[in-house]
Amino acid sequence: MLRYIIKRVLTMIPTLCAISVLVFIIIQLPPGDFLTTQIAELRAQGMDANNAKIEFLRQQYGLDRPMWEQYAIWLFGMLQGDFGYSFEYDLPVTEVVGDRLYLSFLLSFATILFTWAMAFPIGVYSAVNQYSVGDHALTFIGFLGLATPNFLLALVMMYLAKVHFGISIGGLMDPQYLDQPFSYGKFISVLEHLWVPVIVIGTSGTAGMIRRLRANLLDELQKQYVTTARAKGLSPRRALIKYPLRMSLNPFIADIGNLLPQVVSGAAVVSMVLSLPTTGPMLIEALRSQDMYLAGSFLMFLAMLTVVGVLLSDIALAALDPRIRLGAGTER
Amino acid sequence: MRKSYLCLSAILIASAVALPHAASAIALKETPYFVSDVAAGKLPPVEERAPLEPSVADFDRASATPGKPGGTIRILMSKAKETRQMVVYGYARLIGYNYKLELVSDILKEYVVEEGRIFTLRLRKGHKWSDGQPFTTEDFRYWWEDMANNAELSPSGPPIKMLSEGAKPTVTIVSDTEIRYEWPTPNPEFIPALAQASPMYIFAPAHYLKQFHGAYQDPAKLDEMVKAENRRNWASLHNRMDNAYNTDNPTLPTLEPWVVATAPPAERFVFKRNPYYHRVDPNGVQLPYIDEVNMDIVAGSLIPAKAGSGEVDLQGRYLQFKNTPFLKQNEDQYGYVTHLWRTGKGAQLALYPNLNIADPVWRAVFRDVRFRRALSLATNRTEINEVIYFGVALPQNNALLPGSPLYNEADAMAYADFNLKKANALLDDMGLKRGDDGVRRLPDGRKAEIIVESAGESTEETDVLQLVHDTWLKAGIKIYTKPLQREVLRNRVFAGETQIAIWFGLENGLASPQMSPEEFAPTSQQHLQWPMWGQYLETKGKAGQPIDMPEAQQLYDHYLAWRGAADAKAQTEQWQAMTRLFADQVYTIGLVSGALQPIVATKKLRNLPAEGYYNWDPGAHFGCYRPDSFWLASK
Repeated sequence: MLRYIIKRVLTMIPTLCAISVLVFIIIQLPPGDFLTTQIAELRAQGMDANNAKIEFLRQQYGLDRPMWEQYAIWLFGMLQGDFGYSFEYDLPVTEVVGDRLYLSFLLSFATILFTWAMAFPIGVYSAVNQYSVGDHALTFIGFLGLATPNFLLALVMMYLAKVHFGISIGGLMDPQYLDQPFSYGKFISVLEHLWVPVIVIGTSGTAGMIRRLRANLLDELQKQYVTTARAKGLSPRRALIKYPLRMSLNPFIADIGNLLPQVVSGAAVVSMVLSLPTTGPMLIEALRSQDMYLAGSFLMFLAMLTVVGVLLSDIALAALDPRIRLGAGTER
Repeated sequence: MRKSYLCLSAILIASAVALPHAASAIALKETPYFVSDVAAGKLPPVEERAPLEPSVADFDRASATPGKPGGTIRILMSKAKETRQMVVYGYARLIGYNYKLELVSDILKEYVVEEGRIFTLRLRKGHKWSDGQPFTTEDFRYWWEDMANNAELSPSGPPIKMLSEGAKPTVTIVSDTEIRYEWPTPNPEFIPALAQASPMYIFAPAHYLKQFHGAYQDPAKLDEMVKAENRRNWASLHNRMDNAYNTDNPTLPTLEPWVVATAPPAERFVFKRNPYYHRVDPNGVQLPYIDEVNMDIVAGSLIPAKAGSGEVDLQGRYLQFKNTPFLKQNEDQYGYVTHLWRTGKGAQLALYPNLNIADPVWRAVFRDVRFRRALSLATNRTEINEVIYFGVALPQNNALLPGSPLYNEADAMAYADFNLKKANALLDDMGLKRGDDGVRRLPDGRKAEIIVESAGESTEETDVLQLVHDTWLKAGIKIYTKPLQREVLRNRVFAGETQIAIWFGLENGLASPQMSPEEFAPTSQQHLQWPMWGQYLETKGKAGQPIDMPEAQQLYDHYLAWRGAADAKAQTEQWQAMTRLFADQVYTIGLVSGALQPIVATKKLRNLPAEGYYNWDPGAHFGCYRPDSFWLASK
């Protein structure tokens, strides 16, 4: 097992290197650089930006250097924990991201809890009572959640929250708490604003999870060991929970690999619509304005979380499911 | 064209103060916001804070009244760097536009212009920066000698508008409060540049910035600061600290009515009143009336929704005309009002036939004035106005607006009526015969099909183009719409690949004779109808193509004559010649002008005019209506 983990960790290094090259190239692909987008924006507002000043800025930002040199500076900086400089904010990347990361974690954590809390019982119920009225009704609702565009749901819920509960539009707290230190009132305000994005982001995930859990559990319930267990007089409850349910948990575990990067980039569109102070909108904005070090650092961070997440879920799966462990053994 | 004037042809003395000597007679009152700070000795009393010769707000606008100080207003922006909008709204300028768009001194006590080339600026005695340090001609000297002419801070030299025919001014410091700039030839762009929404700063807080300057600071200490701020060199550090326009450094002293108190990044930026502001009202109350401005950063698409639910106290940016019904509907419930102001662009949308297109056949066609006139005549502006803009816009060509002192109805309406018969006659006259399908044929036999390229940023463009398509087809010209990215569109126009581009009209539809008529002549690559000529003149012949059309050359000659003109009369003459020629030649085809901009304000806000022009420059959005005089009533 230890050798397996070490091997996996070592293969992560070339993977991440390859990703960093790809990320850098993709950010540079659109025509122009940060300054050209910036200038276009200034001109659209009727402000002037003369060529000499632009040249000067290009020099200051190091955008006049050859591509490979810019890449090398960025890569070596990152290895030393310096993620570079955000042009848009005129601040180091780490300072820009700052608080947003905590709020992103809070939101994602709440969403994951919501998803699991909803998906788990519904999935089990649907599988055990297959084709019952309840199964159909819940499946129907689940599909509705899957099929409704998130941004639309977000707008509708936001409107309802304003009209019926008087909750201010957008954001994760009432504007009056924005520059206040943490307090009870602020906490309540955050909770008031949190439920809309949690439900909106959670619905599609919940629906998917229900379907997977239901399908897996149905597979397991057909198997002979379940029949045997029932024949031997195990209580229906125990015959469900002890083995089949445990087996069908695999998708939950395998999902961890996807969950980690989602904490950072998840639901960017919904966050844009709801104007949440999370990292998703910041990533999109950085990509749009070609703020390359900010965008690049985000994407690298996402790549790293994905790679680590996949590793973690593989290890967890191996720990949970002996069959996977055995498979790894025979391979060796 | 160079003109030398024999006499002092124009001596302009302008002053924002109607009665300069009465000012000292006003007894100043302490602002409630500062009472406790003054009592505690943290701030000097108002008599020592305001200049000895303060500017006195005149409230000569109808329905504007002196009010009471206090309160906070909320505004919304969508990006943190839009804190710079507060410099636009605050609009404290050496010389600024008033609501009639006349240039008047504001921070300056007065200014004198001789022969259009000698500018004497006089400061207010006792004027102080927001940190309480004196504001003197030393701040002007520091900017000119240690910033604008410092090779490290300004590698490209002083701003272009500080040069007249390439020559730098002679700067003479007469006293602490008087400074003179003298050019060998007239520099008509100097004063308007000071009054811009995004102004040319010719002064900087020397006492604050010297600590970041290589010539003043001890190298070891400077090095330490450069490292601490993670900068490449001291010039970069200096630039970071001196961002008067971006307003992202709370420690930078300013002369604006509100001073930023929050350092980025933040979701909410707080701007607090400047205790040393230079204007008072006739009752002796120091302005601004409003104590604090809270600027929240939210997604741009949410701003109309927030404005329509009473979560903002003053907003124009990010609201669109199409939001008006929603905004009006919620007014009573949430206690705000929606004003509709006219936008100040020459046209909401205009078509730009590319006279520098690479295709030689199309180039010849576009350069034929009959073709451009025919296209303009085949455009049904009234229909566009009724269908897309509810009939509230102005169906005129891309020209100056009725609000401009240079407005001339004949120019604005030249070839702006819908006359298919005349359009067809002009096109027949050119020899462009119709094919069996009703579409005309070019001289080389190709169909007269035009791809109109847009920046693809709003559906408004495509909607309008659909209407244009229908009427132009009746004149035998078929158009297709192709949305592109903004940058791609520009580059295609510059390279001569685009046939016709659709974009906003003239930036400044409210021009007065002192403002530069550069938009009416090929002076910039950014002009989508003649990018290569503009580039040629911009780069002094290094790139682009020389003007090879007599009428365009004439426009450029008029522009040079305007630059050389020393008085308003001569400037007006050049302006009129240019607008007439521009309209007659139909270089751009304006589709509709003067669209409306909704402005949302809380019902409590006073002195915000119900009707106004919402324009960037001149106007600075709210700036020319002096937001420092806006105040909050109790209901």
